[in-house]
Amino acid sequence: MKSTGRLGLGVLLASLACASGASGQSHEPVLDAYASEAKAADPAFNGFSAQRGEHLFRTHFATGKPETPSCTACHTSDPKKMGQTRAGKDIEPMAASVTPKRYTDQAKTETWFGRNCNTVLGRECTATEKGDFITFMLSQ
Amino acid sequence: MKVNARELDPSALGVPISGAAVSTRVWGLGVRVFHWSLVAAVGVALVTGLYTSPRFLNLHLGAGAAIGGLIAFRILWGFMGPTYARFSGFPVAPSAIAADLAGFATGRRPRYLGHNPLGSLMVLALLAVLTLSVITGVVTLGGVDKQGPAAFIVSYAAGAEIQTVHRALAYGLLLMILGHLFGVAYESVRGHPKLLLTMVTGEKEVLPANDTARSARARPIGAALTLTLVLASAAGLVAAYSSHRPYGVPVDPLDGTYVKECGSCHFAYPPSLSPRSRWMALMDGLSDHFGEDASLEPDVAARIRAYLAKNSAETWDTRASHEFALANPSDPLRLTATPYWRWMHRGIPDAVFTSPQVRAKGACDACHSDAATGRFDPQAIDIPERAFR
Repeated sequence: MKSTGRLGLGVLLASLACASGASGQSHEPVLDAYASEAKAADPAFNGFSAQRGEHLFRTHFATGKPETPSCTACHTSDPKKMGQTRAGKDIEPMAASVTPKRYTDQAKTETWFGRNCNTVLGRECTATEKGDFITFMLSQ
Repeated sequence: MKVNARELDPSALGVPISGAAVSTRVWGLGVRVFHWSLVAAVGVALVTGLYTSPRFLNLHLGAGAAIGGLIAFRILWGFMGPTYARFSGFPVAPSAIAADLAGFATGRRPRYLGHNPLGSLMVLALLAVLTLSVITGVVTLGGVDKQGPAAFIVSYAAGAEIQTVHRALAYGLLLMILGHLFGVAYESVRGHPKLLLTMVTGEKEVLPANDTARSARARPIGAALTLTLVLASAAGLVAAYSSHRPYGVPVDPLDGTYVKECGSCHFAYPPSLSPRSRWMALMDGLSDHFGEDASLEPDVAARIRAYLAKNSAETWDTRASHEFALANPSDPLRLTATPYWRWMHRGIPDAVFTSPQVRAKGACDACHSDAATGRFDPQAIDIPERAFR
């Protein structure tokens, strides 16, 4: 419940940011929401890191479901390439430069982090991890 | 020298004129063309039917339609054709049949220019079995495949029952064909060396015979007009009833939320493919959905749950809605583990399913172009050629 409350605050901040001029297709609100959540969780938080995000993306965790030991199991190791679900569906590339609409919808982003962190890491991701991941994908 | 006694009155047939083999036209063009067309159509129907590959269904249906048309012609010709084509001349009186059978013992069977008694019985039996085959075929197609003029009314269960009859008739027909071929061979050896040829030329040597057929003139124009009327009416009825909505087949497109949420990871299986209990078990276990967390927001989950419950297999009457209901006990929630799925996909190499063209066993729509409707028509199957390489 606590984290939902933080997320709620994040969404509020995000919508404020949106209202203050950012376009509907911006990923800023999503990232800002995770930033405030991260700060709330750890006062020492000082920004996201694409490098840490890349590490998260490429790490072979093997702590989640056995079929999906890493993000790259489905998304491939190249964020600009199409991925494929285990059931054969295409996954749009993760890199924002190729799929600009990614990380612009707070609810959708949160849903997929929720599912896939559980599937790959066997636990929920922290706001810092999510922000790092998005930051890496925005740099691609 | 051959004398063609085309309109010879059989009652006037006596001892052949010495020195000249007199032949007469026993089988007119109508009967001969009918016979060999039927041979071709029945051959195609049997091969495509017994070798049950889905790719041959349309050929099988075409052959069945041709058989139906040919039977209609032959029945008409039995009343409006020339002397030996007419049913009224078939020597099927019990006494004639008894005499024919008794002839096997004595070695002296009564001679006939037209069909002999056993031959006549065979002709009538073949016509009856073929008629029943066409009718049971249409009912099977309607109930099992939900296609054709009976699809609007026949249930899957009834269609499957009738399919058993249809199959039994096919095996009966095979036996009859063997009997027919044996009869022709027997007669050829016993004294009609050219029997097979008569069904090509239509000519038969005139010998003393026991035919009771009254000489009759064919009425080709009357027959052609009647046949046209019969076939046109039949075609009209088939077209009209085929356009009715098939019984128990979903028509609405899949729910948008369902397709969006479930279809982003896998083919959005039509709700008609699984019974309610399986759908609910799947929805209960989304946090470990075949090895992945597929959790949904509570409101979305509730909506999808309601949609699945309302449209599950129990609501429909398709082949898939019935056959996929039986689960594999060792993997009860997986559609591709069900005994029926495995049976229907037997012989397809695993490499096809993992190929870039198909990707997964559950990707129904990679090969079934109508997968989203839940119909899975045999004619809608197209396994990508490259998937086999």
